Amino acid sequence: MTRTVLIIEDEFLIALDHQAILEAHGWRVLGPVPTVEAALSLLARERPDVALLDINLRGIPSTPVAEALVAAGVPFATASAYDKPERIGGDVMIGVPNVGKPAKDGRILAVLVELLKDTRAD
Amino acid sequence: MTMDDLYRLLRTGHAQSQGIVDTLPDPMLLLDENLRVEVASRAFLETFKVDRDETVGQPFLMLGNGQWDILELRLLLEQVIPRSAIVIDYEVTHDFPGLGRRTMAVSARKLVREAAGSHSMLLVITDATDRLRREAAQEMLLGEVRHRMKNMMAVVHALARQTPTEGRTASNFRDDFLGRFVALADAEDIAFSPHDGSALETLVERTLAPYTTRSGPAEIDGDVSVNLTAAQISGLSLVLHELTTNSAKYGALSVPEGRLRVAWRLDPDDTLRLEWSESGGPPVAVPEREGYGTRLVEQTVTYSLGGQLERNYSPEGLSAVITIPL
Repeated sequence: MTRTVLIIEDEFLIALDHQAILEAHGWRVLGPVPTVEAALSLLARERPDVALLDINLRGIPSTPVAEALVAAGVPFATASAYDKPERIGGDVMIGVPNVGKPAKDGRILAVLVELLKDTRAD
Repeated sequence: MTMDDLYRLLRTGHAQSQGIVDTLPDPMLLLDENLRVEVASRAFLETFKVDRDETVGQPFLMLGNGQWDILELRLLLEQVIPRSAIVIDYEVTHDFPGLGRRTMAVSARKLVREAAGSHSMLLVITDATDRLRREAAQEMLLGEVRHRMKNMMAVVHALARQTPTEGRTASNFRDDFLGRFVALADAEDIAFSPHDGSALETLVERTLAPYTTRSGPAEIDGDVSVNLTAAQISGLSLVLHELTTNSAKYGALSVPEGRLRVAWRLDPDDTLRLEWSESGGPPVAVPEREGYGTRLVEQTVTYSLGGQLERNYSPEGLSAVITIPL
């Protein structure tokens, strides 16, 4: 079964990079989308298996997206250059795995696969 | 004078030499064993707006309607200092009447009077509120710089991977990649240099520098100042780099008689409108397939900068209009 991942990232070069890595490993990519609004409207239409979330979208914290993901039961990881994403994104980011920036390909894949396992265990 | 110098001075019996104590810039108190004030420096009286008579001879914790009667300070004076001899910059945060919420750094040293078999305490109290605020601001700035640097590394990483290799030699690839890399480095330099709305002007001038000599083909027309974020500067830097490189290869900048005009204005709704107009170059035709550079320009404008790009391949030269909401 193809797994889907929603990529939320405002820098197109990085978004494209993440998309290429994930597609090369059999993921179906939703997005990428660069803004909170675009992410929320996409989430209203489709439910990805997991999401990869940038913390800062054109200067705005992506907290509403994180909250929508939690509400929809979609596990997510952050892709942030911040050491402590919760300092920008708030409590909803506490304990969320961060693949970092720049992210190693293997780390992105491993973290997302781990998130999928967690949902299956539920 | 350091606290150690003062300590030595007081130990030699000059405890009452008020004149010396009054020259010290930091508020200072000498307390006896029962925490009663023996000496108060001028700086102490001034900082805490009290006079000498209502201070000297009084129990320290009762001063200023008990404004120093703070649990942690009391513990420090009664329990810690008598046992530890010295305490440096112990921070006490408290709402001080008349001063507001401040953080005081208390340094203390125990003075043993062997002859009398007693001890007293030297306290130096400095208002650390502003220093701590500055330190917090600096820490935040440092965090921001670290974040920015890692982000830039991620962009460079992505550029290296995406710059095409198919049908290109290693040195072609290297030059393509390094051109983009330098555009990003320039953007970073501009974003973190002090400028008053001249970032765009500096960026355009720097990108077109080889072509704007007195008899050069490029003309820059944009005297309106525009405030850009660091992300907008790096996006525009890549876009201008691609347009310039492309023009130098195939467009107006590839022939001596070609001309380029770059102009911008700020629309009332805070939209930046940047016009790139080439003329006098080789005849222009719509390219058969979109190269990576074209795609980079398109996506940077629409995706990363949330703007629009209109490209017009008219026979006399390429023109492009970029609009970006600021």
